Amino acid sequence: MELSSFVQNLMNGLAIGSVYAIFALGYTLVFSILGIINFAHGAVFTLGAYFTYTLVVGQFENNGLLKGINLFPDGSPFSGSPVMFGLATILGACAAGAVAVLIERLAFRPMRSRGADPLLALVSSLGVALVVVNLIQLLVGAEIYNFPSDAYGEVQPALSFKIGDKVVIIRTVQLIIFAVSLVMLAVLGYVIGRTKVGKALRAVAESPSTASLLGISVDRFILITFFLSGFLGGLAGTLVGTAFGVAGPYFGVVYGLKGLAVIVLGGLGSIPGAVAGGLVIGLAEAFVPAEYSAYKDAVAFALLFVILLVRPQGLLGRNLIQKV
Amino acid sequence: MSDFLQSYGFLLVTLIQAGLLGLSLYFPLMAGQLSLASPGFYALGGYVAAIMLTNPAFAGLRDTLGNGIFPLTWLAAGLLCALAGVIVGVPALRLRGIYLALATIAFIEILRVVALNLSITGGAIGIFGIPQTFGFQDRWQYLLIFGPMLLLVLAFTYMLQKSRVGRAFRAIREDELAADAMGVPPTQYKVLAFVIGAVIAGIVGSMSAPFLNTWNAKQGTFDASIAILAFVLIGGSRSMWGPVVGGALLTAVPELLRFLQDWRLVINGLVLVVASLYLPQGIVGALGKLRRSPPPSRPPVAPTTDAKGGTP
Repeated sequence: MELSSFVQNLMNGLAIGSVYAIFALGYTLVFSILGIINFAHGAVFTLGAYFTYTLVVGQFENNGLLKGINLFPDGSPFSGSPVMFGLATILGACAAGAVAVLIERLAFRPMRSRGADPLLALVSSLGVALVVVNLIQLLVGAEIYNFPSDAYGEVQPALSFKIGDKVVIIRTVQLIIFAVSLVMLAVLGYVIGRTKVGKALRAVAESPSTASLLGISVDRFILITFFLSGFLGGLAGTLVGTAFGVAGPYFGVVYGLKGLAVIVLGGLGSIPGAVAGGLVIGLAEAFVPAEYSAYKDAVAFALLFVILLVRPQGLLGRNLIQKV
Repeated sequence: MSDFLQSYGFLLVTLIQAGLLGLSLYFPLMAGQLSLASPGFYALGGYVAAIMLTNPAFAGLRDTLGNGIFPLTWLAAGLLCALAGVIVGVPALRLRGIYLALATIAFIEILRVVALNLSITGGAIGIFGIPQTFGFQDRWQYLLIFGPMLLLVLAFTYMLQKSRVGRAFRAIREDELAADAMGVPPTQYKVLAFVIGAVIAGIVGSMSAPFLNTWNAKQGTFDASIAILAFVLIGGSRSMWGPVVGGALLTAVPELLRFLQDWRLVINGLVLVVASLYLPQGIVGALGKLRRSPPPSRPPVAPTTDAKGGTP
């Protein structure tokens, strides 16, 4: 492979891989505390993108019940400058976090309090995902909504530089995605590793009953976990939506499924594992040769099988000893 | 009678089909394993039948066998799905917990992408003009093969539950380590349970391809996995009648909800949430409870008693 196309693929892989990483972290946080997989996470991802789009554009002109309503008749205050766009992204992610908290209250907590079969939590979260996705379709239709090109102000759309005599083009949005993801990972690493909240979260993950004996309000930290998880999912949704368009109510489904491959590859419940898994899958997809690009969507799942065969605890997972 | 069959034959066959797919998921659950693979094996079985019934490569075989080709497609689908079941099941079932569910999601996604891209499966368009089983003229006539299939599977399930194998499945579901200590090898039995489910789903697929006349990559998707899982859990996962009742009921509900039009799928999702909250034992479990005296109440299980994941 030529150096220029190698660099190109590397950048593509890192950008999409870092989105996979922050998205999959949402799964991991919930899994490490509750030991269940929140199947509504893909729907929260979709919602994040739609929330940000609502703030930035203010109307859905194509279809659905909300057609014809314009939130900002004089133009959206969140459009036109990078700072305001960033603010809209954060607000969208917060709204997604709030929805995740709501999902925990409505679908997970009632199950926990009556000690139901954990499999039922899967079904109820799948039910929530079904409701969310179909509500989106009902409200704004199934069309693709692209962010207007001037939404984040005067930003150069792509950077190009030369390696030898070949030109490498990197879309600015890819660089932004990569940078935002790195910042997000650093902040999360700090919060969990260095702050009191993080300490409490780790304690709850280690043993909820011990944590509650030590005066940690387990239910409150479960809510915090769901908020963080939804925030990360919603942020990932906005990032992907900015790069490729908000591709209809179902556009989170593929990410939702690939996210599962990411967390198994990295090691269930491991935060560095989710990051490593996301980057590995992003890079593996970027380096699929062009003639096999139709099989790109299967790469993540093929890797999942390989890891189950050779290293079932995942790349960075710890080997759990089964207790009786 | 014939009017009734003309109008409702298609729906009746679909209800039985849903019940059968529910039963295919019931087997792994009997051994405590959550599988989402049934739509994958259903799709695979359907492709086997569709290819054997339409591909020119099998023209000679079709001419020699005549109607005998149809039972042969069932057999071939069953065997191929058993093989696929072993390949998918062995790596995932060495492990405990959620791994089988995740591996089966990977399986259906890989299968979907491959089916979309191979020429033998007709790519994105799929396979058309699949001949009708035994030259059936009407859709309701498929009751003649789906009906006996359901009875057969139910009888098999009933006998299996009473047998040594059924007891081994239940032992693993209740406590895998204890079962292992008592000399029940968990991995073998878990793979067996998974493969039985795979074979049933595959045969149902091979029977459904002629019934639907066309077969494509939309047949085995993640959405279908959710639907089938809901059949079992809402019907009741502790009794073999649960998947049948759940499958029939949840297939009928969207028809009954048709008057809600666009809100139908939203309500369908709500049904899943509400049912899993208020019918944790499933419909059949709840009915059984009405008849029996309530068991001595156990203290509620603490939310989570042990760490299940790693360090965040």
